[in-house]
Amino acid sequence: MFLYNYSILASLPLLILPGIVCVQLEPTFVENAKKGHTNNWAVLVDTSRFWFNYRHVANVLSIYRSVKRLGIPDSQIILMIADDMACNSRNPRPATVFNNANQHINVYGDDVEVDYRGYEVTVENFVRLLTGRLPPGTPRSKQLLSDEGSNVLIYLTGHGGDGFLKFQDSEEITSQEMADALEQMWQKQRYHEVFFMIDTCQAASMYERFYSPNILAVGSSMVGEDSLSHHVDPAIGVYIIDRYTYYALEFLENVNPESKRTLGEFLKVCPKSACISTVGVRTDLFLRDPDKVPVTDFFGSVRPVKLLSSIRMDTEFNFTDSPLRNNVESESKPNKYRYVPPLNKFSQNSV
Amino acid sequence: MSTFYIPLVFSGTQVIKEIRKWVYRELSEKNRFYDDSILITMKIVLILCFLVKIQLVLCYGNDTFTEELLIKPLFSDQVYAHFQFAVTWDKDPTIKKYHHTHLFPRALGEIIERHNIHELHISLTGGLWRYESWGYPVVDAAPGAEVWAWFKPDTVDIDQNWKLLANTLSGLLCSSFNFIDVSNSISPEFSFRPRGSTDWTTVNSTWLRYASLPREIVCTENLTPFKKLLPCDSKLGLASLLNSGFIHNTKYHSIALHLRPICRTETCESVSLELQLSVSLVYDYAILGTRNWSFKKLFGQGLEGKCPLSSRSNIYVDLSTSDSKKFDLTPTPDEVVTSIRGGFVNKYALYHISPNFLSISGRYEDDNEIFVKKPPSLYANQYLIGYGQERGGIVSKIYNNHWSALEVVLLQSIAWYVPVYLHTLKIVSNGEILKPTILKYIPGKQRERPYYIEMVLNLPPLSETLISVDFDYIFLKWQEYPPDANHGFYIGSAVVSSYLPLAKNFTGLPQDSSTIYSSFNASRSGYLVQVRTENMVITLPTPDFSMPYNVICLTCTVVALAFGPLHNITTKRLILKKKCETTLVQKLKLKFETIRKQLVKSKSD
Amino acid sequence: MKMSTLSSKHAKKKENTYFLQSCSKVVLLLCLAAFLRYLVMSSKYQTIIANHFEISTPICSWKRVQEGLFLLSRNIDPYDGDLLHETPTALIFYKIMSQNVFRDVSLMFIFFDIGTALLLYAATRHYAKQFHQEHRDRTKYPKDVHEYLPSEGYYEKVPLYVLVAFLFNPYTFLGCVGYSTAGIHNFFLALFVFGMVYGSPIVSSLALAICSSVSFYPLILLSPLYIYYSQVYKSKTKALLVVLYFLTYVYLITFYNNSLSKSFKFINNVYGSIWTVPDLQPNIGLFWYFFTEVFDHFRELFIHSFQINATILYLVPLSIKFSNRPFILTIALLFLITIFKSYPCLSDLGFVLSFLPNFLHLYAFCQQGVIVGVILFMTSCLAPTLWHLWIYSASANANFYFGVTLAYAIAQIFLVTDILFAQTKWEFTLKHGREAKIDGEDADLSLE
Repeated sequence: MFLYNYSILASLPLLILPGIVCVQLEPTFVENAKKGHTNNWAVLVDTSRFWFNYRHVANVLSIYRSVKRLGIPDSQIILMIADDMACNSRNPRPATVFNNANQHINVYGDDVEVDYRGYEVTVENFVRLLTGRLPPGTPRSKQLLSDEGSNVLIYLTGHGGDGFLKFQDSEEITSQEMADALEQMWQKQRYHEVFFMIDTCQAASMYERFYSPNILAVGSSMVGEDSLSHHVDPAIGVYIIDRYTYYALEFLENVNPESKRTLGEFLKVCPKSACISTVGVRTDLFLRDPDKVPVTDFFGSVRPVKLLSSIRMDTEFNFTDSPLRNNVESESKPNKYRYVPPLNKFSQNSV
Repeated sequence: MSTFYIPLVFSGTQVIKEIRKWVYRELSEKNRFYDDSILITMKIVLILCFLVKIQLVLCYGNDTFTEELLIKPLFSDQVYAHFQFAVTWDKDPTIKKYHHTHLFPRALGEIIERHNIHELHISLTGGLWRYESWGYPVVDAAPGAEVWAWFKPDTVDIDQNWKLLANTLSGLLCSSFNFIDVSNSISPEFSFRPRGSTDWTTVNSTWLRYASLPREIVCTENLTPFKKLLPCDSKLGLASLLNSGFIHNTKYHSIALHLRPICRTETCESVSLELQLSVSLVYDYAILGTRNWSFKKLFGQGLEGKCPLSSRSNIYVDLSTSDSKKFDLTPTPDEVVTSIRGGFVNKYALYHISPNFLSISGRYEDDNEIFVKKPPSLYANQYLIGYGQERGGIVSKIYNNHWSALEVVLLQSIAWYVPVYLHTLKIVSNGEILKPTILKYIPGKQRERPYYIEMVLNLPPLSETLISVDFDYIFLKWQEYPPDANHGFYIGSAVVSSYLPLAKNFTGLPQDSSTIYSSFNASRSGYLVQVRTENMVITLPTPDFSMPYNVICLTCTVVALAFGPLHNITTKRLILKKKCETTLVQKLKLKFETIRKQLVKSKSD
Repeated sequence: MKMSTLSSKHAKKKENTYFLQSCSKVVLLLCLAAFLRYLVMSSKYQTIIANHFEISTPICSWKRVQEGLFLLSRNIDPYDGDLLHETPTALIFYKIMSQNVFRDVSLMFIFFDIGTALLLYAATRHYAKQFHQEHRDRTKYPKDVHEYLPSEGYYEKVPLYVLVAFLFNPYTFLGCVGYSTAGIHNFFLALFVFGMVYGSPIVSSLALAICSSVSFYPLILLSPLYIYYSQVYKSKTKALLVVLYFLTYVYLITFYNNSLSKSFKFINNVYGSIWTVPDLQPNIGLFWYFFTEVFDHFRELFIHSFQINATILYLVPLSIKFSNRPFILTIALLFLITIFKSYPCLSDLGFVLSFLPNFLHLYAFCQQGVIVGVILFMTSCLAPTLWHLWIYSASANANFYFGVTLAYAIAQIFLVTDILFAQTKWEFTLKHGREAKIDGEDADLSLE
């Protein structure tokens, strides 16, 4: 008992810390409260399988790296990757994915956590993830636990066409299904604002049907246009990143959690001369002026701090029920444990 | 300013009491949807716990943590590195609360509690362990993912718990364990008996579930959460050597997690919970570029010091190949341990990890010699026979190089999409038909249950035994094929278990210990090996995935072709009708006439 | 008076010699057929033939029966898995037959095939005689239709033709050589036809009950059986008795099945799998590709409608239309089952095709004989070729084989509808004469 008290005592100074931290963060916090979002989530999806679609994995991992760098923790990023590129036997450098032929940045990193991978990346799982209608027993890392205060970044990349996006070359999600999923999210108060970003051919067709409020959408190409890849890495042998994501990433690399760059600037990255396709933007559902919204509203993260006016103290707390107490108690047991031989000895007679 | 409430209004002992209550309440909540602030608090408490480590160890009982690394240059052109981490937790198994852990990962504690688990064994492996040239590993693992768990006998719905456990594990280790359900799980009778100590009077295999996912790819995303289960994470100690770029650049890499109760004392009056975490790597000299290995070459960096929480931090280098092929170690080992085990003498160079920087390297005196391979006593292969996509066969080949007969258990779990015919089972050993001592078989069911074959064989000395069984290629519904249907479907590896009388090429740990150190001089009556064979891929015939509408239309047309005439025959009568041969022109004329007549009529109206 | 007895004696003598002659012919044919079968069975081609999906479907594959017998011998419930689709009684029957009665499995299959041929011969002989008798009085018919009536040697020719059509039909031949248990099912179907034609309620109802217990499709043959007794033998009580017998036998067989397997698991394995088509192995029927490709949420709907189509959809209308010709009704229903059942095999078609010589008199009214013959020939050649291209050399895909099965089904449909049309036209012609004239003017026959 004494020891236990000691441990709590030792932890006391740090228990007070959140209060201090909170006081220090005060100005930003009030700002955030005005903006109305209290937490950030990111759903990053690569829908393409097969080695020659390396670039799509590089796309999604680039965005993953950026949002992680800007402060969204892994627990609030849902990463869906339809195929394994890093440990693919065709990858000359295992456990790496590069988004540049210079191989400066390994976007796969040393601490990546992929939540949905391989065959798990299906339209059904994606829609279930967004709408929260997951089967019982789904682990937390595979759930989008956003609420009415969440700013959600949805990034999709893969092969698409007019009004659909292919998943793993075997099924597709239509723009209507996408719009309905977002509407369901809105009705279930699963987001505060959504930044929908898609890098695929005819990307603009995917957000055309949206009808839920507070969505800002950007697509790499207009209807009728192809989205193009940026460059090939001769060492890997395939195209390694798409143009739009390449330039978006170039922009994001110069953003840090404190910077004041706005979404308005972000929406202007990759002009037609660089992208070859026209970047499509849809702002009519979004209530704020993108020029006044910091990029970090979607790509960064609000610290998970909440104002509490009082702490409810449960005075009737029953200490006898404490698991720790139980742990300390140890009864003397008769000798009944034993090792079971891991393999039986069998009789020799044949059956 | 802020109205954030800090319990500073209290003072002295009151503060401690109140905080304790508060923390308590949060900790004991079943459904943990913490307030965000509490999350931070929790984290800070954990950091604090880390800072005041030793004192805290005492207040949670005697948790111990050991970290070890075994480096073994193999007889072939590879070097084997095995990291062995073990956490033991002196926990009374009668108390079913696992929330309060210290060195033991709490995430796992919660899983044990929620799913009523007695033992849990997981491995995630890339590549295949080549028994015939590498000998036996410390821990056997099948290519891909493999899980087996013993549930406590009082578990209510084991199948349901197993499914949920698999789901939870998929979140814990970022793997696709969620594809495990009853349709690919079996309860083997002999092969996977409990490894730890139990108080059960009888062992009932209905409490066991085993499943393997041969297709599973293992990469950094599995290693990241795995490292988080270690008390020092990957920041200090041997775990800091686990750099993904160097781990996945190997011929074989396997991460494994083995959880079991072990005897706390010799007399086994009480049990502790033991968690073994291991990483096995086999580096190929061809990939390294040289036979001279070093920490920098193998792991990309040297060792900065031990994990301060560990009670044993050792590195061993197996010197068994040094006799035939001499290599020098720098720095010189702290001591050289001689281990006599199962009739074989082996020498190990031992290094105690100090806080100083350490980088061990092995240097061969002369570079281009060929080793003499010593194949182990027992190893096995598995392959497919037949051509085309109609009928085939699965053949397992077991080699017994031992001079006496060996009793082995062969376990095959064959997915439901590979229906096998047991009456075609043939066991031929050195050209003679061998009868199994025991044969267990549960036929599979489409979409419900795999085929399970387990047999006990008494292999004659110095023999090569072929076990073959025929199967049919099956046709699935088009929506059941994976997106890359033409890649093929996997059949998991067979497991050949046996007690070897001699510890030749054997590095495994004895059942009653959890460290490599305790395996030195640990002679026992038998040495358990569980040889895993290759995975197999079969390409099932595929339908045309773009055809559904066409097929539905065409087939329905054929059905309608029968319906039309039969409807006519049965509902109509034959009658004679006057011939009125009207040509097209006549018909048109007739029509024109009627229209004209109508027009005239309307005009007259 | 004397003359008549003499002539009748003479006729009898003549008949006897005929009978002896035909008997020797039959024996010769049977021996030849058995020998040919045995020859192929003992060659290396046996396994190749047996492995073909056209011959061994999941329902009638001997390999699965062997697996069941093996599991039974090891005390494993064969109905625990889903490979076996035979009933427990059938399994015991095969066990006794293959282990106690016949040492050689090939002999068992030959025996049952020869048995089927004999039963068919006897049944058609009896039926042809009846038919001949019925149309003997030529004065009842217009003069110009005499050529459509059965000729003098009709009842001698037809059964012999049937025998040849059965024994030397490539479909039945391959089925027998490939150890298709459908050949043994056909034996009981032939027994049913034999019992029905000879008017033996016990034999016919027992045979039908056995057939229906193996797969539920023959259940619908109860209708022609009932009609046969009530129309041909003009006895309602006999007809009702047959139904009663049938129900009793079915009950007894089910009871016995259940007591053998000690659980009702076999119901799902036997009838469940025939009804719901879980095994999508290609065969010559219409089900496999359809249910491979159909969207999951429509599966139930289509399964039930396809099975209804194969069983009761045509039962009532055909029974009403052909209530005076129950034999033709039986053949038509057998044909429709063969076309639309979930796992048809070549033996099934071979069996029904061997009834065709019974419709010799309709030949003049058939219009699609050539088309049907050509399609059947083409599909029989193409199916194994395209199968090989798809499965072994991977240079074709499932669509090719599916196309062949479609054509094959169409040929059978044309054949059965053609015969039924011909039958109605034949009846019409016998009644109204050959000349299609109304008031001396040319007229057309049409359905209205």
